[in-house]
Amino acid sequence: MDLKTAGFNTTSRRTFLTAALGAPVLAALVAACGGSGPSRSANSGGGAPGSASYWFLTSQPQEGIRTDAVERFNAANPDQQIAFTTFQNDAYKTKIKTAIGAGEAPTIIYGWGGGTLRSYVDAGQVDDLTPWFDENPAVKDRLFPSAFGPATVDGRIYAMPAETVQPIILYYNKQVFDDVGVEPPQSWGDILDLVPKFNAKGIAPFSLGGQSRWTEMMWLEFLFDRVGGPEVFAAAYNGEENAWSNPAAIDALTKVQDLVKADGFVKGFSSITADSNADQALLYTGKAAMMLHGSWTYAAMSTDGGDFVSTGKLGYTNFPAVEGGKGDPTNTFGNPAMYLSLYSKATDEQKDTAKKFFATGILSDDQIKQWIDIGTVPIVQGTQDMLSSSKDADFLQFVYQLSTTAGNFGQSWDQALSPTGAETLLDNIARLFQLSISPQQFAENMNQVIGK
Amino acid sequence: MRGGERPNWLGALIAFLWLAVVVVPIYWIVITSLKSQSTYFATNPMLPSPDSNFDQYKFVVESDFPRYFLNSVVVSVGTVVPTVLLAFMAAYAIVRGNGRFLRWANTLFLSGLAIPLQAVVIPVYLIIIRLQLYDTLLAIILPSIAFAIPLSVLVLANFIRDVPKELFESMRMDGASEWATMWQLAFPLTRPALVTVSVYNGLTVWNGFLLPLILTQSPAQRTLPLALWTFQGQYSVNVPAVMASVVLSTLPVVVLYALGRRQLVSGLTAGFSK
Amino acid sequence: MTAAPPGVRLRRPASRSVHDNRVAFLAVPALFVFVAFAVVPLLGVFLLSFTQWDGIGPIVPNGLDSWRSVLTDPALPHTVWVTFLLMVVSWAIQTPASLLIGAFLAGRHRYREWLAVLYFIPLLLSTAAIAITYKALLDPNFGLGVGMGIPLLSQDWLGRDALALGVVIFIVSWQFVPFHSLIYQGAIQQIPRSLYEAAQLDGAGRCRKFFAITLPQVRYTIVTSSTLMVIGSLTFFDLVFVLTGGGPGDATRVLALDMYRRGFQANLMGPASVIAVILVLIGLLLALLLRRLGGGTPSHSQLDGA
Repeated sequence: MDLKTAGFNTTSRRTFLTAALGAPVLAALVAACGGSGPSRSANSGGGAPGSASYWFLTSQPQEGIRTDAVERFNAANPDQQIAFTTFQNDAYKTKIKTAIGAGEAPTIIYGWGGGTLRSYVDAGQVDDLTPWFDENPAVKDRLFPSAFGPATVDGRIYAMPAETVQPIILYYNKQVFDDVGVEPPQSWGDILDLVPKFNAKGIAPFSLGGQSRWTEMMWLEFLFDRVGGPEVFAAAYNGEENAWSNPAAIDALTKVQDLVKADGFVKGFSSITADSNADQALLYTGKAAMMLHGSWTYAAMSTDGGDFVSTGKLGYTNFPAVEGGKGDPTNTFGNPAMYLSLYSKATDEQKDTAKKFFATGILSDDQIKQWIDIGTVPIVQGTQDMLSSSKDADFLQFVYQLSTTAGNFGQSWDQALSPTGAETLLDNIARLFQLSISPQQFAENMNQVIGK
Repeated sequence: MRGGERPNWLGALIAFLWLAVVVVPIYWIVITSLKSQSTYFATNPMLPSPDSNFDQYKFVVESDFPRYFLNSVVVSVGTVVPTVLLAFMAAYAIVRGNGRFLRWANTLFLSGLAIPLQAVVIPVYLIIIRLQLYDTLLAIILPSIAFAIPLSVLVLANFIRDVPKELFESMRMDGASEWATMWQLAFPLTRPALVTVSVYNGLTVWNGFLLPLILTQSPAQRTLPLALWTFQGQYSVNVPAVMASVVLSTLPVVVLYALGRRQLVSGLTAGFSK
Repeated sequence: MTAAPPGVRLRRPASRSVHDNRVAFLAVPALFVFVAFAVVPLLGVFLLSFTQWDGIGPIVPNGLDSWRSVLTDPALPHTVWVTFLLMVVSWAIQTPASLLIGAFLAGRHRYREWLAVLYFIPLLLSTAAIAITYKALLDPNFGLGVGMGIPLLSQDWLGRDALALGVVIFIVSWQFVPFHSLIYQGAIQQIPRSLYEAAQLDGAGRCRKFFAITLPQVRYTIVTSSTLMVIGSLTFFDLVFVLTGGGPGDATRVLALDMYRRGFQANLMGPASVIAVILVLIGLLLALLLRRLGGGTPSHSQLDGA
């Protein structure tokens, strides 16, 4: 066959090319345009362009409570609307960074305060809210004073505290303790005594989701504090040279390694992640006796652990004192609150909407009740009555007491430090627990990033 | 036909061993998708739960799942088709042509082979915003095409080089233009490489997570990998629900593959000595 | 062009390139998209490697500081080593496995169809799903080994350095062997039967046939498949990130993960960009190397003599 007669001529080849390339692109465009307006599905909603925007985390039941607050606000304020979008935790952290870096952040920036907030402040990306709080003392005074620590940078407040307080608690399985015939530990010495007793019975003394690293960090936080008081970490945080080589720090680091060497933690802890809830499962299935973890795990254990919580088998207490240590045994650590900051590049209109939301929408009476119902303690003072009439009264009152009477409520180190420092910290903590570096090496490595 | 006389015991053994390795995790995914989060840790992980149910599936479908699936399909097809066409044309030009421009283009493509996505994501984000394409599926498609081109050009060029020169000569002697030669001779003969490249890119985009995360925002534009979010909380993952969504997102593709496998494999075979 | 009278040669001198500019334009569309969405950002990253930026504030040029800090980082050789190890070992495992399985599927067996479909499924699963699945299966307390009562399988898989890397390699292979065996299957089915029949007549056994006929005939397929494997594993990130996060310690910290940690978690975009540039250079080098190894421009078809 003569190819020339069968071949393409110039115009039809152009058509072919355009069609071949254009069709899928066109299809995508059509599909894409179809969905680019504000949508009304379950995970996103809100008002017209020009409204304030708010990004927050997914996962029920907390997500529902946050959504309700926005919807209530939008209903009550028809000309000041808030458009919200939800994101998964890790995805959110990447997303917010990209957005801020590109100058496209939402009006209300949700976060954990501390070092990350400081980096926003240094870059001029968030507004100073101190004047606003001065004008609205009622908003400030009803909240826990300890919640404002992580929101404060160089004496000025850059975020509105919100949601609940989440201290770290030493949980234990009462049934396991009864079976083995021992009492919950009152001191570090008690802990070391308990370890061989549980191991002898084939029960792991402590459950630990080591792969997540921040779970291991909790141990260091408490040991540093109990041995040398909050001053030890504060020195590092404030940029003092060689702060990590402080003898109290080295002592705490050594104690942790002692516990690891004594098989204090469940076998294979470096493979277990916290977010699969496998570490909690170890506790409520009786494979582990104790667990140091955040107060948020209570709700998860209630639902997933069968009747473990409802039949009162879950015990809880604060981390015990260390003999000869300087630290106040009422001190605790965790997330004092969640924080909402105001994007400095938002329009004035958006900022006004956001501020109104802070004043009337966050921790309103409705929201307080919702937080308590899911087994968490909102950062509002004077809720004792509501707590005692809730279904998790004992636990919630314990958390409230712990949070409000703590001598010092320290923020989680990986949130308090700058992101650079936090990354190095978590890295070294993992190696410390793997016993691949010594306490001195840990201190040296951390000293390198002080002030960064 | 190879080795048809004696049964291939060694081959069969290896095949079944590999089958076990493949099937065990899949089996686990299926039985877990039928469990509920509360019984998940209480039952033996390798055995189905006595009260298996489809609750997780209901939960997944109600969470906007069909929309995510459709988006993934649009993005995958919308990326693969242009990529293959553009890369084919470029590969043809590089193999058949000469001159500085093409040599320079070739090296440029090669340098784009190992671009780590996480590194360029912020500049890409900025470009997409300036083009006002943020939060559209096109925002995912365009960079995906760009990143898929280098490897596709490489593979296709290698293949086109293998087409016997005599065939090109005879086309030219018959007076065919390069354009005609490209589509009528090279394109059909390059079928195996085209299929390989399509499948590889298709799967990469189908499972791609970072670009959809950064370049889209509203749930209406989400693709399947992001759909797993719904079940991943700040502190915990609803594993049975995740498994249910995995089954739901994989099943249609498996069926598609089962039906189209013959075509796929025959597409991978092409003879030059026709 | 009319047919030439017999005996008259009207052909132009034989050369591969007849109309340079006519063919050159074909590469333009691809070049355009590539430059717009890949090269320009890449240039941006290259420039970023000479700055200090935390992703949030202003970008501050700082010359070679970021380069220096990365190149003198004592952890860098280890990271490069881990990446290299992952690349080489996963290639060494995937290629033989894919060849054998591809060869097996190319033969004729009753159940071949079913096997082919089942084998392919891992490839269709998203990396996040695979990571979550394996994390659960490998859990030392609630995983596979415990469920089936096999102590050997209840190791601290993800908690011991060598094991963790081995697990990552295994899972990568698990996911991608189906793809490569598909390619090899296609290539093997393409080999003319006549070659095998001839060997059969010469008395060659199965092994001999495989090494003397099958392997050489699929040489170029091996190059293609290896290129995809090696280049793909260089920027491998998703699975490692979700499965081990680079741990335990830094046992599975590959270059792409290291870059992510520096850039997005430690807020050091300058050094992260340096690593990105390094990755691109390594990729370029590898591609050139593979092209050299695979035979630049074969002047004859593989099927000569068939």
